[in-house]
Amino acid sequence: MNIIVCYKFVPDPEDIIAKPDGSISFEQAEWVISEYDLMAIETAVQLVEAHGGKVMALSVGGSQLSNSKGKKDVLSRGPDELYLVIDDALSESDTHLTAQTLAAAIRKMGEFDLVICGEGSADLYFQQVGLQLGELLGLPTINAVSKVEVADGKLIVDRSLEDEVEVLETVLPAVISVTTDINQPRLPTMKEILKAGKKPITEWKLSDLELAGKAEKRIEVLNVRSPKQVDRKRIKITAKPDEAVQTLIGYLSKEGVL
Amino acid sequence: MAVKDLWVFSEKTSLQAELLAGARTLAEATGGGVAAIVVGDETSAKAALAQGADKVFWLGEKADKLVEDFVPTIAGLVQSHKPCALLIGASKRGKAVAGRLGAALDTTVITDVKKFFVEGDVIQASHLIFGGGAVRVEKSATETMIATFGLGIFEPLAADPSRQGEIIQVPFIEPKTRWTLRERKPKPPSTVNLAAAKKVVCPGRGLQKKEDLDMIFELAGLLEAEVGATRPLCEGLDWLPRERYIGVSGAFIKPDLYLGIGVSGQAQHTVGITESRVVVAINKDEEAPLFAQADYGIVGDLYAIVPELIKALKARK
Repeated sequence: MNIIVCYKFVPDPEDIIAKPDGSISFEQAEWVISEYDLMAIETAVQLVEAHGGKVMALSVGGSQLSNSKGKKDVLSRGPDELYLVIDDALSESDTHLTAQTLAAAIRKMGEFDLVICGEGSADLYFQQVGLQLGELLGLPTINAVSKVEVADGKLIVDRSLEDEVEVLETVLPAVISVTTDINQPRLPTMKEILKAGKKPITEWKLSDLELAGKAEKRIEVLNVRSPKQVDRKRIKITAKPDEAVQTLIGYLSKEGVL
Repeated sequence: MAVKDLWVFSEKTSLQAELLAGARTLAEATGGGVAAIVVGDETSAKAALAQGADKVFWLGEKADKLVEDFVPTIAGLVQSHKPCALLIGASKRGKAVAGRLGAALDTTVITDVKKFFVEGDVIQASHLIFGGGAVRVEKSATETMIATFGLGIFEPLAADPSRQGEIIQVPFIEPKTRWTLRERKPKPPSTVNLAAAKKVVCPGRGLQKKEDLDMIFELAGLLEAEVGATRPLCEGLDWLPRERYIGVSGAFIKPDLYLGIGVSGQAQHTVGITESRVVVAINKDEEAPLFAQADYGIVGDLYAIVPELIKALKARK
C-alpha cells in the first residue's frame, strides 16, 4: 500500500523567547519536525513494513523546508520518498491554506491508499489539518486514531474519545489523524541516516499546483503576546534539606494549604 | 456583520449549556439571537431552549449514525443562514465536526478558544500557541467564524424550563463518506480527576527512575493530594497514564497547592498550572524556570528534600 504521511516543520517551541515588551521571538529557534508528526511517520512506516508498499512524506511551508538537515531527518525515519511544497506564501499559513495546499499536492502525487497526519502541530496545535484535508479530498476522515489495522482494502481504527473507544471501519483510501500515544517513534539508525541522502526528493512551488481556490488564509492574526505571568512570591529557600523543609512547611501552613 | 446570530453545537449537554451562556453574552454585543443545533430526541431539543437558546435547529435522533455524519446537514444550515459565529464544543468529536465543516464551508476553525469577545463590530478570539508560550488573538476572514471551546470557558446559565422558542426540524443530508461503527469499548474508568483536585504533587524529569514514583505517591498520600506529571513521564517514559499529564494538550488544573518536584518549568507544562493558588518548586537547578513562577521554592536535590518532607509531614500527623 502507498501511504502519504504529512508533517510540519516548526520552530522548536522550547526555543521561543519572550521579550520584555511582551512580544515573542523565535529567531534563535532551531527548526524541527513537529513532535506529534513523528508518531504519524512511525505509523506509516509500521504499516508498510507489515503490508508492503511505500511511504511518501509530504510537507508544505516556507523557505525553512529547504533546510537539508530537515530533509535528511525525515527521510532517516523511514519514508521512501519526500515531497515538499516550498513557497514564501506558506510560511505563516493557516490550517485552511495548509490543507488546501496538501490536497493539491496529493492530487499531483498520484495513487495512494492512506494519508496519515499527526494530532496537531507543536507550534499552533489547531488539530485541524488532517480533518480539513480529508474533507477537501472527499475521503473518509477521522481524528484521535490510537490503533490502525488494514485488511482487504478496509481500514479499521480505534478512536480514542474522552470517555470511550470507538472501533470504526471504512473503505480505503482514507485520511486519519493519529494520537500522540499511538506508538513510540524509533530513533533513526546510522544505516537509515546514510540511506536518507540517496532517497528521491520532489520540490514544488505553489504555482506548480492546482489549488481548488486562491491561496488565501481564512484567519487574520491580530496580535501575538507572551501570556500574562501570574504574580508569584518567588521566595527561594536555600538551606540544608531538613531546615529547608521546615521553612517550607511554615510558609505552607500560613497559606492554609496543608 | 450582516447577520448577528450566534449558533452553538455540542454533542455534550453540559458543554452545550456553557456555550449557550457564552453565546448569549456575545449576542448582547452583536444584537443578534442564539440558536442551538441539536442531534437527539425532542427532549434534548427543548433542553437547549431551557439552557438559553432562542431557537433550535433539531436534526433528529442519532439512531445508528455517528455525530460526524451530520456534517453535510450542518454545513447546509450554515450556508443558508450565515450566522456570524458557530461555537462548537471542543471534544474530539466536536473538533472532527468543526474541521470537516470548516473545509466544507471553504473556511477554517479557531480551536480551544480561551477568550471570546466583540471589539468594534468584529468578533475576536484568543487562544494559546507555541505550547502555551504565546497568546494569539485572531478573527475570521470569512462571514461565519467557526470556533471550538473546551469546558470551563463560560459559566452555564441556570436551566429555565419555562423559556420558549422555536424548534425547527431539519432533514438529514446523506454524507458522501461514512465510517461504520463496529464496536464501542469503555475506557477504563478514570481514577484521576486533576481538574477538581485541591492539591497536586507533580513530578518532572528530575525523577530518575520509575520506582522513585513510590515516594511521590507517599508524599501525595500524606498531603491528600492527587499526582499529576509533566508530559515526558506520561508519553515517552510511560511511567504514568496520560490522564495524569498537566499541560497544553493535557489537564489544566486549579488547585490550592501545586508542588512541582524536579519540574523544570517549560511553558508547555506551566500553562496548565497558572490558576493554582500556591505554587511550590523543588529543583536542584537554581536556574529552573519554574522558580520564577513559584511562590516558594527549595533549591536542592529532590532525593534529599522529598524524604525530609515525608518525614516532617508524618511528624505533624
